[in-house]
Amino acid sequence: MSVTVKNNSITPVLEEPPLITGNQTFASITEKISSITETKPGKGWALGFSIAAFLALILFGSIGFLFWEGVGIWGLNNPVSWGWAIVNFVFWVGIGHAGTLISAILFIFRQRWRTSINRFAEAMTIFAVICALIFPGIHVGRVWVAYFMFPIPNQMEMWPNFRSPLLWDVFAVGTYFSVSLMFWYTGLIPDLATLRDRAKSMLRKRVFGILSLGWRGGNKQWKHYELAYLLLAGLSTPLVLSVHSVVSTDFATSVIPGWHTTIFPPYFVAGAIFSGFAMVLTLAIIARKIFGLEHIITINHFEKMNKIMLLTGMMVGYAYGMEFFIAWYSGNDYETFTFLNRAFGPYAWAYWTMITCNVFIPQLFWFKKIRRSIPAMFVITIFINIGMWFERFVIVVSSLSRDFLPSSWDYYAPTIFDISLLVGSFGLFFTLFLLFIRYLPMIAMSEVKGVMPQADPHYYEKHD
Amino acid sequence: MKLDQATYRLSDTNKLQTRALAAGVIALLISVVGFFVDTQQFFISYLVAYLFWVSVTLGAFFFVMLFHLTGTAWGVVLRRIIEAIMMTIPLMAILFIPVILGIHDLYHWSHADVVANDPILEKKAGYLNVTFFVIRSAVYFGLWYLIARKLYKTSLAMDENPTAEQVKTLRKVSAPGMIVFALTISFAAFDWLMSLDPHWYSTIFGLYYFSGALLGALGIILLVAMHLRSNNILVEEIKVDHYHDLAKFLFGFTIFWGYMAFSQYLLIWYANIPEETIFYHERWVGTWKILALMQVFGNFLIPFVGLMTRNMKRNLPYLKKMTIWILLMHYLDLFWVAVPNFHHKGIVFSWMDLTLFVGIGGLFMWLIWRTLAAHPVLSLNDPKLEESLHHEIP
Repeated sequence: MSVTVKNNSITPVLEEPPLITGNQTFASITEKISSITETKPGKGWALGFSIAAFLALILFGSIGFLFWEGVGIWGLNNPVSWGWAIVNFVFWVGIGHAGTLISAILFIFRQRWRTSINRFAEAMTIFAVICALIFPGIHVGRVWVAYFMFPIPNQMEMWPNFRSPLLWDVFAVGTYFSVSLMFWYTGLIPDLATLRDRAKSMLRKRVFGILSLGWRGGNKQWKHYELAYLLLAGLSTPLVLSVHSVVSTDFATSVIPGWHTTIFPPYFVAGAIFSGFAMVLTLAIIARKIFGLEHIITINHFEKMNKIMLLTGMMVGYAYGMEFFIAWYSGNDYETFTFLNRAFGPYAWAYWTMITCNVFIPQLFWFKKIRRSIPAMFVITIFINIGMWFERFVIVVSSLSRDFLPSSWDYYAPTIFDISLLVGSFGLFFTLFLLFIRYLPMIAMSEVKGVMPQADPHYYEKHD
Repeated sequence: MKLDQATYRLSDTNKLQTRALAAGVIALLISVVGFFVDTQQFFISYLVAYLFWVSVTLGAFFFVMLFHLTGTAWGVVLRRIIEAIMMTIPLMAILFIPVILGIHDLYHWSHADVVANDPILEKKAGYLNVTFFVIRSAVYFGLWYLIARKLYKTSLAMDENPTAEQVKTLRKVSAPGMIVFALTISFAAFDWLMSLDPHWYSTIFGLYYFSGALLGALGIILLVAMHLRSNNILVEEIKVDHYHDLAKFLFGFTIFWGYMAFSQYLLIWYANIPEETIFYHERWVGTWKILALMQVFGNFLIPFVGLMTRNMKRNLPYLKKMTIWILLMHYLDLFWVAVPNFHHKGIVFSWMDLTLFVGIGGLFMWLIWRTLAAHPVLSLNDPKLEESLHHEIP
């Protein structure tokens, strides 16, 4: 190399802090993470699980009653025919996006810090998509013909409308779910084999033996595994963008002011990543504390995630601003009215909740102290979760409640069943999540080992 | 062109600079004849050429800030080239003057009598009026120049006496710089391009222009780096691996551009509201249809398929051809968005399209090589230079 770097005096200042702290060895990582799934969980887990399972039962109970009684139990009214069910659907699909971004896009961008958080972010994706899929399913009213959503050949020659974004949703979210599941499972295989090898009981040996698909950790297996992982990452990357873009077309292909605007696809994607990161962080902070994972999920990981939230939060803010500006610039009375109505009409409280939580509060992340303060970021992520739910509420409800015909205007308010379904969906989400951290390695052991200093082939030469 | 191995400065670039400058000036002089022959056509051609070159400048500006913010390692060896492109901002500010002079030929909202008879334009007059238009453009250029100059000066200062403080400064300037950039490029796209049809509007339009600008910048970065390489300069420093990463960006941002273009098209087509659909209707008339299809096939599908594999991205002669193709498509994209506002029946190419493109481009290239020659072509003391030099894609 012909260039000689003249002055290296500033290199140490910029040295990236190590990703994994506390002088970990390969063995200590395996022990730390596997033992969580091998020992009996503490009281905290049991308490959390009972609460979550109770809420999940409320969800199933409410769904049962909904099927019995019909969608009339919701607060829907004449102009507002899409209420909380659609809000919840978009909210949960959005939550999932962080997992895919972390596992696929950060992988492609060679961001090695992702290894500490990707496993449970991906798990969260899968559980969030499960929660999301419930809502359009129960929204159809006649749930016994829900299979009409799929283009199944039938003797009546009845087909779904292929030009309907609702059908695109079925495909987009279905694809998303299956690819995410495959990606997650592929990543799990080496760790499942580790659990199998450590298993003491016959049952664990058998179960993990089957699940790990005969993994032996040979050279060839790793070679194939890594190629498969790269290909799945490549397949997942467009999905990060496409799924929420398709969800946005549910609204944007219509002619309703406030729904129909061309920035919707990228705007929804940014919002999805924003809310997803907030949820990953909320969960990570709790899990890290309870299971003592401070050396693996370090404050540096959190700081990086906070930066991504700051960025995506501002992207969402950009979209809010552009919508407002163009609503005025269009010179279209309906557009202008819709946006003034959002900000100053009957749903102004929801609008300003959204703006405060999504645009103003995340600005606190400009300060390094706050980016590195766990209590502060915990509170902020909760605000973001609330704000992003309200964003979907504002979009869905405020545009519908005051449509083109003032005589049909109405105010939408949820009923107890709207609330029980939302709360219940959180119950289902946490039930699945708690089961996951109890029975499967919540951190990708094999990947974390790959970013440790010991993984460098020359490590032992230097340290002998 | 030669490289001084000790100081990493280019020498003997005079010939190249003179050629670029001469080509630019001669082409502009020829175009002046066109100004007297067909004034409106002169301004149309000028605007499209200008929007192309300014998009390259802005795209480079974005990449410089992006590299500082993300703390890139691989991109460090390319930074001087990108900075040189970014520093064409003052030139682009000067070259904006003809657009202001041609405002009445280009923007029909600038005619008071038209606005008076058009209730919609009357509503927008608070925003779309000549004074505010000029002020806004001046503000954009002012902000861009202030930020870019600070970034460039700090980067140069690092060559002499590197401190950790400078690295922090670069990040601290880039972070708010990004916000300023996002807003200004969007409004610049609204002002300069979208308001050619002042009745039409699209919230994604700023992002649409931005996504094209990234392709423009990547294309010129690649061509400049390849020109250095063809003169046996920085052959070992800017390795095939760096080209590979640039090509990945080119591939990725082609998809990004396609995503923006498709989002806008799909939503407008689907909702079918006349005041929006008119945009695509006008661009589907007569021979404009050819350019519309070019957007799908030429601007998206060909680079998408043509940059997919690893070998395609690492084969430099091939990559060069693909880069030129993408730049051509980027130009045609802007042409297809801008010109149907004036020629309603079909494509009208003018000889001035070519002379003004070369004219602005000549000055542009002259300035880039001048800037590159004035300072070392590598940021020699960047703390990540070492890592960048050893960049390898497994």
